[in-house]
Amino acid sequence: MQNYLLTILILLPVIGAATGVAYSFTPGAKESHHRWIALGFTTLAFLLSLLLLKGSGGGINAFRIEENYPWIAAVGARYHVGVDGISLWLVILTTLLMPISVLSSWTAITKRQPTYYALMLLLESAMIGVFVSLDLLLFYLFFEASLVPMFFLIGVWGGERRIYAAVKFFIYTAVGSLLMLVGIIALYFIHQNATGVGTFDYAVLTETLRSGAMALSPRAEFWLFLAFAFAFCIKVPLWPLHTWLHDAHTEAPTAGSVILAGVLLKMGTYGLLRFNFGLFPNASRYFAPLMITLAVIGIIYGALVAMVQPDVKRLVAYSSVSHMGFVVLGLFSFTEQGMQGALYQMLNHGVSTGALFLFVGMIYERRHTRMISDFGGLVRPMPWFSTFFVIASLSSIGLPFLNGFVGEFLIMLSSWTSFAVQHAWIVTMLAGTGVIWAAVYMLWMLQRVVFGTTTSEANAKLLDLNAREIGLVLPLLLLMLFMGVYPSIFLNRSRASVEAARQVIANPAAGRTINVANASKSEAQR
Amino acid sequence: MLRYIIFAPFAGAMINWLIGRRVRNEGVIGMVACGSVGISTIIAFYLAFKSDGALRSTQPIMDHLWTWIQVGSFRADFGLAMDRLSGIYALFITFVGFLIHVFATGYMHGDGGYYRFFAYLNLFMFAMLTLVLGDNFLLMFVGWEGVGLCSYLLIGYYLDKDEAAPAAKKAFIANRVGDWGFVLGIMLVFFLTSAKGVASISFFDKPALGVTSALASIAAMPIDGFTWHAIFAGGITSVAVLLFIGATGKSAQIPLFVWLPDAMAGPTPVSALIHAATMVTAGVYMLARCSAIFTHAPTAMFIVAIIGAATALFAATIGLAQNDIKKVLAYSTISQLGYMFLACGVGAFIAAIFHVMTHAFFKAQLFLGSGSVIHGMHHEQDMRRMGGLRKYMPITWITMVCGWLAICGVPIWAGFFSKDEILWRVWSAGAYGLPPGATKALWFVGAVTALLTAIYMTRLMGMTFWGGERFRETDHHHGEQHHDVAHEPHESPLSMTIPLIVLAVLSTVGGLVGVPYAISSLAGGHPENYFEETLAPVISSVPNAASEGKAVKPHWLSPPPQEIDGKPAVAPVGEAPGSATSHETPSPQEINEERLLALVSVLIALTGIGIGWFVFQKQPLLKMPRLLEQKYYIDEIYDATIIQPIKVGSSEGLWKIFDLGVIDGILHTIGNGVVRAGRTVRYMQIGFVRGYAAIILAGALIIIGYFAYSGASVLRLLVK
Repeated sequence: MQNYLLTILILLPVIGAATGVAYSFTPGAKESHHRWIALGFTTLAFLLSLLLLKGSGGGINAFRIEENYPWIAAVGARYHVGVDGISLWLVILTTLLMPISVLSSWTAITKRQPTYYALMLLLESAMIGVFVSLDLLLFYLFFEASLVPMFFLIGVWGGERRIYAAVKFFIYTAVGSLLMLVGIIALYFIHQNATGVGTFDYAVLTETLRSGAMALSPRAEFWLFLAFAFAFCIKVPLWPLHTWLHDAHTEAPTAGSVILAGVLLKMGTYGLLRFNFGLFPNASRYFAPLMITLAVIGIIYGALVAMVQPDVKRLVAYSSVSHMGFVVLGLFSFTEQGMQGALYQMLNHGVSTGALFLFVGMIYERRHTRMISDFGGLVRPMPWFSTFFVIASLSSIGLPFLNGFVGEFLIMLSSWTSFAVQHAWIVTMLAGTGVIWAAVYMLWMLQRVVFGTTTSEANAKLLDLNAREIGLVLPLLLLMLFMGVYPSIFLNRSRASVEAARQVIANPAAGRTINVANASKSEAQR
Repeated sequence: MLRYIIFAPFAGAMINWLIGRRVRNEGVIGMVACGSVGISTIIAFYLAFKSDGALRSTQPIMDHLWTWIQVGSFRADFGLAMDRLSGIYALFITFVGFLIHVFATGYMHGDGGYYRFFAYLNLFMFAMLTLVLGDNFLLMFVGWEGVGLCSYLLIGYYLDKDEAAPAAKKAFIANRVGDWGFVLGIMLVFFLTSAKGVASISFFDKPALGVTSALASIAAMPIDGFTWHAIFAGGITSVAVLLFIGATGKSAQIPLFVWLPDAMAGPTPVSALIHAATMVTAGVYMLARCSAIFTHAPTAMFIVAIIGAATALFAATIGLAQNDIKKVLAYSTISQLGYMFLACGVGAFIAAIFHVMTHAFFKAQLFLGSGSVIHGMHHEQDMRRMGGLRKYMPITWITMVCGWLAICGVPIWAGFFSKDEILWRVWSAGAYGLPPGATKALWFVGAVTALLTAIYMTRLMGMTFWGGERFRETDHHHGEQHHDVAHEPHESPLSMTIPLIVLAVLSTVGGLVGVPYAISSLAGGHPENYFEETLAPVISSVPNAASEGKAVKPHWLSPPPQEIDGKPAVAPVGEAPGSATSHETPSPQEINEERLLALVSVLIALTGIGIGWFVFQKQPLLKMPRLLEQKYYIDEIYDATIIQPIKVGSSEGLWKIFDLGVIDGILHTIGNGVVRAGRTVRYMQIGFVRGYAAIILAGALIIIGYFAYSGASVLRLLVK
């Protein structure tokens, strides 16, 4: 079974969705049973995904559990999947967040439950596919496939402006990925020109690039990098391509927001790390100053705009722009600390922001409002909620010994010496202010929502969390603590893969080298 | 064994948080809280004073728990170390902390959140001890932010007080601004050491783990020049300045001091423990710990001294005009912290630590005393409604007199020795990059501050314990006769008075551990200054080239620094660290000067007390200058110049104009254009929802078409 684990993981949710559909045709089927089916399959997927950890203790260098079959023979597309230390954790993050999302929809979703849960399961399948695909066409397929369920989740089960948000989300991201498709096809032809065989296989492409069998002209690399990066930067989202995010987040149902923040955004940074760095190392270095500048603007801009939001969910959404800016900053520092920190920050953001959206969903379900001014003094009627919400907020703020700190610290540490930018310490100092702003917007929000005097009758009568709600956030809270106190378990397993990805950039095997003024500085650090 | 010092209070916090909320029995909760801190105290004393204990041996006691973060050459351990510096800190933190816990069991009696209060207080002890005992910068930072969190939770403890939540937030954010500097400073330490090939952020050598001390590596580097440019050069001076920014946040120095007065919204034991005795002195601890860095950065030292002196004077003037008993003490704390930084700035780290310790005794005493007064006055904090309380609360009164004499600097009380030591060190500081007159000017500021301190503290005592009994008048104002009996001030229970007595004794005799030679030798013999002897081996001293006419010679712990580029950067001091001979007997001339200055200090203290007594004894309600009463309008200035512009700029500029206007505006224009094109092409009226469908379809078609076209041309270009 171990050998087919990835295929099983991709197919299991699809089977779950099919089971749900089949069940709805059986006589006496009840809508409310579908959530049990979804919970069962997502939990099973999570447990199976833990098997990926087997044998990964010493760190993973190459892709493991690979499967590689012809898929569309006519164009040489293959079904090629595998995990390394980078995708490993993202797959597990996905499978972890899914049962939690299903549980968070338990009572919140009342209309069209069969369709809702079927879409959730299909979404999971697509997301796992994105993180394990090693064939560019397959990757593109999953990347686009993840759009469709999310489009419907927002458009059907969303808030008041759901149609606007869903369409904006769809068009924004579809435009980006179409560009990537052009890039993928271009790579195919370039490879065909160079070697006589066209391929979409990532492993083959990188191999021929490294060996020099296929060389990208600087100009080609420039454009191809842009085509890929555009798709990924919209997903991240990198400033100023972020304006779909807060609409989609705000209007999506709670589970949609959790998945959007927890997993979909990571597809962008994962794509940059895997494909842009792996395929276009020279262009990656060339564009690093631009990417870092945008990332730092995003960190500060996202935080400042989050600060003045009247809507809690929108505030958390804008904070994502800030946090994901850190991830991009870390990636483009091209140091071990930075890239490891970026990967870790992806996981952290999934856990912390996912949890924050869950909490916002819980009070929305009770009060049917997300406006900060409608709340106040929740600590009295809802002590457990308040405790947990404060812990999740502190994790988002980056309090040491909670998960956020480790990632952000490593990223800032590395950006200081990033050879990509002149005067990198200025970048670091600016990025560092993001941590101050995070405290400002989160604590100000807490002050108005959780603390103070209980402002209204409606708030005073709110019920505290029930067992289901505690059960669904507790894993995330424990994970925040664990990831903050003992990050080695995660960092050790991703070390080798991240280092391999970094080597490609730091030591270009062949071809033109872009002037790297401060490379020696970074070398000295290692 | 060291780990139990920090984990005992942590366990206490967890027990009270999880079980205490169910038990709701004050006795059990108090026992758990005090017991866990008591365990820490016993272990700390045992480890410090056993035969090879931290204060007796030159080797620190180490305890490595696990490797926290390790990526590349960056490594941060969860490891603890108790050397002489952290030992002294751990001793007074656990001991004073224990007393305040006991006091709080009485003070918080009957409060609905009893369990929550003690859970936070224990958690604070955990964080504070982690800060002090952490063996590397990053673990210190964990404690540093941890105490900030506990401070946040405890300031906001009273949910009914409207000012509590904003005060808590303000404290956390002001601290965060400082922490920004601290984190960057840590990073720069890492880079400076990795540039030398010994990347480390550890305070100590840990040969078994292959970790070298970052401080020793920096001590081996050449001393930075005394230039403004050095601040931005990315060298040792930059590190020192960044770390000091961290200290200004935590220790409430200019410009980040604004949070501390507001923090008085928390319960009084919290003010005593966190905002007087322990947490706020963390900045001084950090500077002393990093003395090797600061002594290599004369510019940073100069800044530290100036900021310290300015804060001391500034806060003292505000303290003169406050009417809330806790606010007076808060500004007094800021002022005394300024003193400590002034001492650090002239290289008198040991004197600064000495003052931290005596201040912990007498300021904890004063705060707890004020807590006892507030408790006895039924939560009245305005001194204008007190007066004549010595009759009603004799124990509180007597013990507070001890604290008062100590802070004023009356001889034999603890504050005298430490304050006098600081003033003498400032006066006699060598020309370490400073212009010759500068140290005399700094001394003068310190002396004026001492005078003001004596005046406002006498005012506080006078308004509270002497004079007419004004609390009755206020009651008559309300016109409800029967309330008089209930509002009669009363002495506090034993659980509160016993800690007061212990702290009063310590405020009285606690200074005797550090009597300077010049004074102790008055009694004849050749006594040693125990405090200085203990700390000297772990503190780098300022190279005193000018006065000694010798080469620059800082002390350091171990090992002797390596030579750099063939020439010794700094020569090690000849004597073995910690040996008694490293202390040189000062010349008779210096001793006379020191004695003279001590006399001046005494005169200043007595003059201040005299002025305070004669002015405020007659007119306890004397109207103070409005500028001082309003704290120089600093909060208002910050609000108008920093907070509001950022808020409005973010809301109106970034969000509404840029985000919604510019970016989405462009997108909507494109979208509408597509829709209009679709309508024209199809000659078809469309409804609202279908309109969006049209956007998708038309948009997708146009985009695909466009990219298919341009993609083809790019392709042609690429293949060529």
